[in-house]
Amino acid sequence: MENKQFSGDHLDVLKELVNIAVGNATASIADLLQAFGRMHIPQITISDMEGLNRHIKNSIPEQQQNYVTKQLFGGVFSGEFIFVISDSSALNLGYHLYDADEPPSEGDILDAVIELTNILSATIISRLTEELNTKVQFFVPSTEIIAGNDLISPEDLLNYHQIIIISTQMEFEHQNINGQIFILTKDEMIESLKALIDQKLEELYS
Amino acid sequence: MPTIPYPNILLDALEIGVIIIDDQFKVRYWNKWLEINTGIEPAKIVGENLQTFYPQIDYKVFSRKIRTTLRLHSPTFYDASLQNRFLEIPRTKITTSLLTTMQLQVTIAPYIPEQSMVMVSIYDISDLHELKLNLQHQMQTIAKLNDELYREKAIIDSNLLIAKIDSDCCVLEVTQAFVTFFGYKRESLLGRPLSYVFGEGSIDFDSKHMRDVIASQQRWSGEVKAFLENGDGIWLDAVVNPITDDNHEIRSYTVIFHDISDKKRIELLSITDPLTKLFNRRKFDEVFEQMIMRQHWNKDASFSLIMIDIDHFKRLNDTYGHQVGDKVLMETAQVLTQTVRTGDVLARWGGEEFACLLPDVNVEKALHVAQKLRSAIEMLDIPEAGVITASLGVSLYKIGDTEESLIQRADTALYRAKENGRNRVESY
Repeated sequence: MENKQFSGDHLDVLKELVNIAVGNATASIADLLQAFGRMHIPQITISDMEGLNRHIKNSIPEQQQNYVTKQLFGGVFSGEFIFVISDSSALNLGYHLYDADEPPSEGDILDAVIELTNILSATIISRLTEELNTKVQFFVPSTEIIAGNDLISPEDLLNYHQIIIISTQMEFEHQNINGQIFILTKDEMIESLKALIDQKLEELYS
Repeated sequence: MPTIPYPNILLDALEIGVIIIDDQFKVRYWNKWLEINTGIEPAKIVGENLQTFYPQIDYKVFSRKIRTTLRLHSPTFYDASLQNRFLEIPRTKITTSLLTTMQLQVTIAPYIPEQSMVMVSIYDISDLHELKLNLQHQMQTIAKLNDELYREKAIIDSNLLIAKIDSDCCVLEVTQAFVTFFGYKRESLLGRPLSYVFGEGSIDFDSKHMRDVIASQQRWSGEVKAFLENGDGIWLDAVVNPITDDNHEIRSYTVIFHDISDKKRIELLSITDPLTKLFNRRKFDEVFEQMIMRQHWNKDASFSLIMIDIDHFKRLNDTYGHQVGDKVLMETAQVLTQTVRTGDVLARWGGEEFACLLPDVNVEKALHVAQKLRSAIEMLDIPEAGVITASLGVSLYKIGDTEESLIQRADTALYRAKENGRNRVESY
């Protein structure tokens, strides 16, 4: 979808800021969870719900069973943070964080996924909003197990018009953990994000 | 500089549990909600290590969450979707409770990071969790019912002959069994009148009958004759049921068919003479009795009984053999069937004798029909048997007659016809 509000400069700044935030997240995970890995350079696209649906379907295999954690964040820059991790990666994460001899329980796995999501969302979003000189409030995350890549319900497809999709992939090879991150903001956020980036640009070039 | 003078009053007024704790698990604050719900007084726990009171908590995980909170200056959470992973707090709810301990939602937020202190907020989400469990249970029940429904639908679809029709008798849906049984393609049936399925020649299942039923918006059942795509005739038992919507308005109809061709064949065998294919004596007696029972007969519109006996049949049998005799009986039955009027009832009475009931006649009409029958037999061309003739006795129902009296008079007339030279008609 052609974006009439976001200029190339805006997108470049946002990409740079998200890059810094994602780098921060990798460091935090290494420090807090003793998991060393890397994150891919984030992709930023502006789309509608249909586009988001296509994007998710292209990013996540159809046959995969996933733990999907969604966490809302509010403030001048608000939206939804989604972390998708396959069941095998989630199991490995459970083993890693609970380092039990026996396989981790379903509760352990869910809590481990929530914990990782906490760190990812807090680092990425907090750092991003910090760079943009604004504050953010996090809401309680919730996880559901979804078979396949149908993460967007048909009702949701009708609700939003424009969405900024920030997506990246994290890999912890040693622990064999992979996940997909989607940060979604809708309609009116584009304008406020644009204003925040404008301020940042002014700050940088003044 | 504190902006609220008495923060402890605030924390005690909250309807959630609040613990202020450091990264060594030393409790710094234990609010009123926790005192009431855990039975542990703040005086006993504040300044103590939480591990003493709650050794079952996974402190490695708790420590990591505190560290994450302090490091990131951001809240962390426990998963609240399955079993409780933090404090075990008994639940006092007595009615309809699935949970004996509270389901908690736990948020760990930074309090004074410089002193490694965090604030743990504990929300009782048991009611919500119970609703979720109930909903999951209901969803499982619905899924199970759906599976059963699907299986039963599959059984119905593959075994029962069902058509859904609209008020114009046009087909909306048909089962696979229906398609297979009638030998049509589903696409060729949808949207077409149901009478199309039953062939042009089917008068029993003309839409009229069905349309009347549909117009009356009632349930109907009955037997219908239909034709398969290959032209074979079959008998079906049909039940028509209106389908109503939530406002009780009829939206469509289901027609459930059951193949009763075998039953009809057996029924036919039980009332048919195997040689001549005419009604047998049992069926004739039944019809005769019904005709006597009718009350509307009078002098001008009565009914008549004709007894027909093939002349010299014993001699014919003896001379030419039983095969020729049987052929004469069959040919005679056929010519009589072709000659009687629609609505007349013809049967093999026994041996070489036939009986015919003629409704709505007077003497003249009865005699006229009898003469036609006699003449038709005389015209029979059976080379191996020579000329065949028959004698006929006619009696007309009069008020007070019984089956026996009517038969006796027809027999007497038949006897007279034989006496008077055979190949003739007499009445009595």
